[in-house]
Amino acid sequence: MKTQLMKAMMTSISEVMETMFFLPVAFGQTAALSQAGLDAPDTMACRLSFSGDIGGHVILAAPESLVLEMAENFMGEPQDRLTQEHLTGTLKEMLNMVCGNALRSTPAETPFELGIPDIADLSEIAPDSRFHLIETDGATLGMLLHTD
Amino acid sequence: MLYSIMIVDDSLPMRAVIKRTLKAAGYGGSHLLEAANGEEALALMKNSWVDLVITDYNMPVMDGLAFVKAMKEQDLFQDIPVVVVSTEGSQSRIDEFMTAGAAGYVTKPFTAEAIRDVIVTILGEADYEDTIDESDDDFDF
Repeated sequence: MKTQLMKAMMTSISEVMETMFFLPVAFGQTAALSQAGLDAPDTMACRLSFSGDIGGHVILAAPESLVLEMAENFMGEPQDRLTQEHLTGTLKEMLNMVCGNALRSTPAETPFELGIPDIADLSEIAPDSRFHLIETDGATLGMLLHTD
Repeated sequence: MLYSIMIVDDSLPMRAVIKRTLKAAGYGGSHLLEAANGEEALALMKNSWVDLVITDYNMPVMDGLAFVKAMKEQDLFQDIPVVVVSTEGSQSRIDEFMTAGAAGYVTKPFTAEAIRDVIVTILGEADYEDTIDESDDDFDF
């Protein structure tokens, strides 16, 4: 089921990025955050837990410059009017939409329940965790699906 | 006709997106109220007239379902139509909201048209004049 869920997450990222952020995506390989350059101090990350037929959580990591562009596209506000709250809120909302969209397209006997997205501390993630890389507009996003 | 619309979502960016979507849909002249959860919305609604509520489901303090149920239990609020805009779109969740009294349900990600179609069904077509938002800095007369 994890493979099915991962496939649904990838499809969902593509739909959400194009519909709400007007950014096309291309899927890359898996890599540790350090290999993808996502261990830099300006990397932002958030986490969302889910439960249902299987439970787990998803972590999304992105450079702040990309999140800034996403927030600008999402809210229609120029970058110089965006605050840190707008950026973290945008990343959380993106993860929320990606997971919600993916989980409702995944057949399940027990309907999935989503938690509330929160900021993740990258230092708490095992260094060898393999993130799925997603390329968009010259930047790279990383997504990790962990099932219990 | 101008409306008073309450947007309930714990995400500041999502409230901004819904406001932008309302403007694009022709309801830009409406009086827009914002709350971060159901409890905050109920408190605001005690002092403000509201024609329509647009609410998220998954929020801290009081979620969207508890909020809709609380509204429908109060004479003052029970006739106000509620549109749910949520990432959660399982049929069982939608049924719960509709049974509780929601008038419409839109799943995220959404298009401006999807929001517009639901609101037009409830409030009717927005007047042309409604597209002018006097608080918008971009308008310079």
